[in-house]
Amino acid sequence: MREADLIEGIKEVIDTEMELSRETLLEEIDYYDSVAVLSLMSYFDELGVGVAPKDFEELKTVGDLVDLAGSILDDR
Amino acid sequence: MAKISFNDIGISAIVTTTGGRRVTIDEEAERFGYDERTLKRLKRSMGFESRYVVADPSVCTSDLCVASAEKIFEACELERSEIEALLLVTQTPDYRAPSTAIIMQDRLGLSTDTVAFDINLGCSGFINGLYTAYCMIRSGLKKILLCVGDVASRFAYEGDRNLTPLMGDAGSAILIEAKEGIESHFVLHSDGSGYEHLIIPDGGCRHPFTARSLEAVPDSDGVPRRRVDMYMNGPEIFNFTIKVVPKMFRELLEYAHAQKEEVDYFVLHQANRYILQNIAKRLEVDASKLPMGTVGKYGNQNSASIPGTINAFLHEPFSSARQKVVFAGFGIGLSWGAVLTEVDRIYAPPIEHYQAGKGDEHA
Repeated sequence: MREADLIEGIKEVIDTEMELSRETLLEEIDYYDSVAVLSLMSYFDELGVGVAPKDFEELKTVGDLVDLAGSILDDR
Repeated sequence: MAKISFNDIGISAIVTTTGGRRVTIDEEAERFGYDERTLKRLKRSMGFESRYVVADPSVCTSDLCVASAEKIFEACELERSEIEALLLVTQTPDYRAPSTAIIMQDRLGLSTDTVAFDINLGCSGFINGLYTAYCMIRSGLKKILLCVGDVASRFAYEGDRNLTPLMGDAGSAILIEAKEGIESHFVLHSDGSGYEHLIIPDGGCRHPFTARSLEAVPDSDGVPRRRVDMYMNGPEIFNFTIKVVPKMFRELLEYAHAQKEEVDYFVLHQANRYILQNIAKRLEVDASKLPMGTVGKYGNQNSASIPGTINAFLHEPFSSARQKVVFAGFGIGLSWGAVLTEVDRIYAPPIEHYQAGKGDEHA
C-alpha cells in the first residue's frame, strides 16, 4: 500500500469531507472522536497492523497516524 | 483451552423480560447535553434509538427472571417439582449474600431438593451458564432452569455519558433438559489480565466500601463516575473483541467440524451495533444471519442479550423450525465463549416488558 492510499483510507474510515495531508492536525478533523479511533483501530487490524488503544493517545497529526502503519507502506 | 461436546441435551424454552420503562436517545441527549453532531453520530454509527430499564428502582434481577420463569411454567407442560437445579448468572444480585438463586427457589415454589447458586459473569454469562447446566444434565439431573440477567441501570452511573446510554435491564429464563439428537460443542476462554477494563472497583474485599466510594470523580475524559459504578475502557474492550471473537469462531467451527454455511443464525452478545458490524465483516457472514438490533432498541442486556435477541428478533424461526445456531458471548472478566448447537421448535415468545404484579418481593 502507498502512503497516499492509506491517507485516503483513513479519510474514508473517519468519514470526514476534509482533505487530509500528513500535516493535518487530528483535532481539527470533523468527526475525529472516540468512534473514529475505534474505526481506525479496526481498519489497521484489517490491514494487518498490530495496534493497541494506547498507540492512539499521543497522536497529533495525520502523519503520526500514518506512521503507526509504516511497516505496511511500499513507498517508505 | 476448554473445548467440550455434549449429546442429547438441549434448550426447550427461552423467555426474556426487560425493564418496564423505555428511554429514548433523544431524551438522554438532552440530559447529557450531547450536541447535535454527537447525537447524529450515536444514532448513525452505534444505532442508538432507545433502551428499556426498570421503571421502579426497587425492581431487581430476580423480579425480571422470576417473571420470565413464571411464563415458562404457564406455557410449558412442566411441574415445578420437576426442576432439579436453578442457576442465576448475574452481576447485580439482590443481596451481597446469599445467592439470589436460592431466594428464587422459594419464590418460584421449587422443591427444597433443588440445587441453586449464582454465577458472577456478564456478557459471556449465557454461554458459561449453558455449559454449567449441560454439565449438570450430563451428571444425571433431568430439568434445569437457567436464569441470566442484570439490572445494569443500577451499576451504570447516571452521569456516565459513555456507559449509561448503552445499558438495558433484562432477565431471561431458559429451560434445559434431555433432547435426543441434539449435539452441542463449546469453546470457553478466560483472561484475567484484562480485569481492569470492565470493573466495579469498590465494595468487594480488595477495596471495601467507604464514604469515598460514593464520590463522583471525573476520569481523564472528564466523565464522572463513582467507585461503586461500572467502569468500561471502551477502546480496550473493542480491541479485545475484534481480536478474540473472530478467532473463536474459526476455532469453534474447526473443533465441531462444521462449515459456517451450515449455520442458520449467529446470535452474539449484543455489545453494540458497531462492534457486531465489525465482527460480521471479519466472519464474512450475511447480516440477515447475525442480528444486530438489540442494543438500539433495548440496550446492552449483558448476560441476557443472547436470549433477549432471540425473543426480540428470532421468536418465529426458533418456534417454528429446527435451526443450527452459534451463540457467542464476550466481555467482563475478560471472558469469552461460544457454542454451536441446534434448537428444535422451542418455546420462544416475543420479548416482554416487566409489569409489577403478584409474586414480587419488592411490591
